[in-house]
Amino acid sequence: MANFLIKRFLQAIFVLLAVTLIVAFAIRLTGDPALMLTQGAGSVTEADLMMIREALGINKPFFIQYYEFLKGLFVFDFGRSFMGGTPVADLISKSLPATLMLAASVMFVSIVISIPLGIKAAVSKGKWGDQTIRILSLIGLSFPNFWLALMLVLVFSIGLQWLPPSGMDGFTSFLMPAFTMAIILTATNVRLVRSSMLETLQAQYIMVARAKGLSENTVLYKHALRNCAIPLITYFGLQFGGLLGGIVVIERVFNWPGLGTLAFDAVSGRDYPVLQAVITILSMLIVGVNLLVDIAYGLIDPRIRTE
Amino acid sequence: MNKKNTFKTALKTFAVTSSLAMASFSFASTLTVSSPQDPGSWDPIDTFLVNWAAVATNMYDGLTYRGPDLKLQPGLATSWEPLDEGKRIRFTLREGVTFHNGEAFNSASVKFTFDRLMGDEGRKGPQRSNYSAIDTVEIIDDYTIDFHLKAADPVLLTKLAGYGAMIVPPKYIQENGEDFFNTHPMGTGPFKFSSYEPKVGIKLEAFGNHWGGAPKLTNLNYRFISEPSTAVAELQSGRVDLVIPPTIPIGMITTIEKDPNLTIATTISPTVYALRFNTRDGITKDERVRKALIYGVDRQAIIDSILGGQAAPIASFQSAISFGEDPTMKPLPYDPSKAMQLLKAAGIQPGTKLQIDIRGNNATFNEVSQAVASYLQVIGLNATIKPYETNVLLNDIIPAGKTGEMFQQSWGGWTLDYDNTAYFMYHTGEKWNPYDSDPELDALLESQRAITDRDKREEILKSIANYTSNRALEMPLYNLNAIFGVSKRVKNFTPVPDSRLRLTDVTVE
Repeated sequence: MANFLIKRFLQAIFVLLAVTLIVAFAIRLTGDPALMLTQGAGSVTEADLMMIREALGINKPFFIQYYEFLKGLFVFDFGRSFMGGTPVADLISKSLPATLMLAASVMFVSIVISIPLGIKAAVSKGKWGDQTIRILSLIGLSFPNFWLALMLVLVFSIGLQWLPPSGMDGFTSFLMPAFTMAIILTATNVRLVRSSMLETLQAQYIMVARAKGLSENTVLYKHALRNCAIPLITYFGLQFGGLLGGIVVIERVFNWPGLGTLAFDAVSGRDYPVLQAVITILSMLIVGVNLLVDIAYGLIDPRIRTE
Repeated sequence: MNKKNTFKTALKTFAVTSSLAMASFSFASTLTVSSPQDPGSWDPIDTFLVNWAAVATNMYDGLTYRGPDLKLQPGLATSWEPLDEGKRIRFTLREGVTFHNGEAFNSASVKFTFDRLMGDEGRKGPQRSNYSAIDTVEIIDDYTIDFHLKAADPVLLTKLAGYGAMIVPPKYIQENGEDFFNTHPMGTGPFKFSSYEPKVGIKLEAFGNHWGGAPKLTNLNYRFISEPSTAVAELQSGRVDLVIPPTIPIGMITTIEKDPNLTIATTISPTVYALRFNTRDGITKDERVRKALIYGVDRQAIIDSILGGQAAPIASFQSAISFGEDPTMKPLPYDPSKAMQLLKAAGIQPGTKLQIDIRGNNATFNEVSQAVASYLQVIGLNATIKPYETNVLLNDIIPAGKTGEMFQQSWGGWTLDYDNTAYFMYHTGEKWNPYDSDPELDALLESQRAITDRDKREEILKSIANYTSNRALEMPLYNLNAIFGVSKRVKNFTPVPDSRLRLTDVTVE
C-alpha cells in the first residue's frame, strides 16, 4: 500500500508541475496587462507602460517569473492581483470555501438521491418504477443548467419571492445553485447506478446470497452495492472535476463569490497571478480527489492494494 | 408616588422611548446599489474604471467638483486663479474640513496627494499619465497652494474633479501603509467607508460632518453583480434598489417597465459609438467610399428599432454634452442611391467584400452591426462581421492596425471635453489611431491644447469636428443613453450622465 501511495503521490506532483507550467506560459500569450490597466487612459507613453510592467513584475524573463511563482506556492503566496493589488491568497481563501461548499453540497445531494433511485430502478427493471425513474432522469439531463437557473430565479425569487436570486448569505441562498447543478448530476448518476447495479445483480454470488436466504436489503446494500462501488467511485471522482468546471457558469448566474467568479474577472482583466492561482488550486483539487479515489479503491477492494 | 402613577409614568416612558426608537428606525435608511464590477482597490491612483468612480465619488472629494448638471463647482478648493498665462494655478482651500478619521484637511494633504500621484506610488498605476501636466505643487500657507504646470492644460480643472486627483489623508496612509489603504479607503466625502468584501460588495455609511452637509441616507451598500439578468432579478425581488449603467441591456428595459415596483431612469451619456475606417489601405482608403458607407446606413432606423429610441444620432464622434460639440453639424442623411453613385465613381464593383471588427460581448452592438451589414448589402457590398474578445480588440488588434475595413469604437471620455476624444482618435501616432496621419489635423489638435481662453478653444474643437466629418474618418452611429433601473422606493434620484452618482439627496421609503 505504501509503495502504491508514494507512486501515486509522485505522479500527482508531476501533473501539477506540468499544469502550472503550461498555464503560466499560456496566460502570458493572452496579452499585456499594462495595456489592459491603462485602457481607459488617453495618452499613455511607452515609458508609462514600462513603469507599470516593472511594478507588476512582468518585465522579468518568463522562467524567473515561473520560479517565483513556484517558490510562493510552497508558502501559499500567489503574489498580488494586478487589479488593485490585493494579495491573491486573500482572494482565494475567501472564494475557495464558497466553491467547495457549493460543490460538496451538490455532490452530496446528487449521491444521496441517485443511489437509492438507481438501485430501485435496477431492481424493478422494466416495470413502471424503472420507467418513471428513467423518464425523470432523461428530463433532468435535457435541461441546460443556465436555463434551469434562470427559470428557478423567475419562479422562486421574482414570482414567489421565497429565495434570494443571487449572492451568498445564509442557507436559503444555497438552495437554487445547488439544486440547479444537482438535478443534472443526479440524472446522470441514477443511470450509472442502475446499469452498474444491473450488472452486479446478475453475478453468481448474488444468487448464492439470495439462496442462503439473506434479506433483500442485505443482498442489495451489503453485497451488491459494495461490488458495484468501484466504477461508481471512479466516476464520482471524475465528475467532481467536471463539476468544478461547470460551477463557473452557475457562479456567474447566481453571483456566487467563488473561484469561478474570481477566474472570470481575472480572464477579462488579464490578471495573471489570480488566474494562475485559481487554475493551480482547481488542478490541485482535481488531482487530490483522484488520489483519494485511488486510496478508496484500495480500501474497498484489497486486491488493488497488492497489485 | 402611588402604584397607579408609577404605572402611568412607566407607560409614558415606554411610549416616548418606543416612539423615539421608531423615529430613529424610520430615519435609518439604506440604499443598495448594483454595480457591475469590483475595481479591486479603492485607492484613487490604482484604477481607471467607471465602476470605481461610481462608488468612490461618495467617499472622496477633489479640489473641484462636477455635479449632476456637469458644471464645474468648488470642491475642497473654494476658488482658483490661473497665473503666469495658465502655467500656474493658485487654489484657496476650504477651511474646517476633516477626513473621516478627524485628520485635518489642508495644503499639506493636497501636496501629499499629488506628490504621491506623480511619485513612486503613482508610477505603478494608470492614473499618472492623466495629470502629467503637473510639475510641482507648492504650499504657500495652510490653505493656499500653487500648482506649477509644465504646460497649460485647459482640461486640468475638470480632471481635478475625478479619479487620481481625489484628496487622500497623509497621516492615515503613512501610519497604515498603502496596502491597508487599498482596502480601507478614506477621504473627506459625504460617506465614509464601513466594510469591503472583495468580489461581493462595499458598504459605506453617512459622514455627518461633511462640509456640504450630512447625506440623507444612513447607509449605502454596493453589491458587485456583473450578469445583467441577475442584477435585474435582484431589483425585481427588492433586494437591490438601483442598478447603475452599463448593466441594463436595451432588451431588458420592458421587463423593468412592466414591473409595478420599478422604473427606468435615463439620461444622455458621454458614450458614443462609431464604426471607424481603415483609412490607410483597402477600399476605405478612398474618401468617396467612406462617405458612401455612411450614406448607405440608416442610423436613425437602427436607433428607433434596435436601440428602442434610447440613443441620439451624432454628426461627429462626441456626445451633445461634450465641450466642442457643434450643434449646427448634421449627420449625413440616409441616401442609398447617392451611396451607390459614390461607390460607382470610386470604381467599386458590386459584391466587394468588407470586414467589420466588433467586440464580441455586447449583444446590442452585435445586432447593430448586423443591421449595418444588411444596409451595406443593399448598396452592393458584402460585409462580414468579425467579433473579438473585447480586450483583444482594444489592446492587440486596433493599436497594431490589424483591423478590417471598419472597426467598432465606443468612447466616453469622462472629462466631457472633445480634446479627450479627438486627440487620441486622430493625432498621428496615438494608440487609437493606427491608420491616419494628417499634418493639418495634427496642428489643429495641438493648437487648442495650449489655449486657456474657453471660447477660442471651443471654436477650434468645433472646427476639428467639422474637419474630421468632412474627411469621413468614421461612421458616427449614435450617442447611447445611460440607463438606470430604479425601485420606486427610491426618492429624489437624478440620473447622471457619467455614472458618478453622489447619493447625498436620495432617500429610500
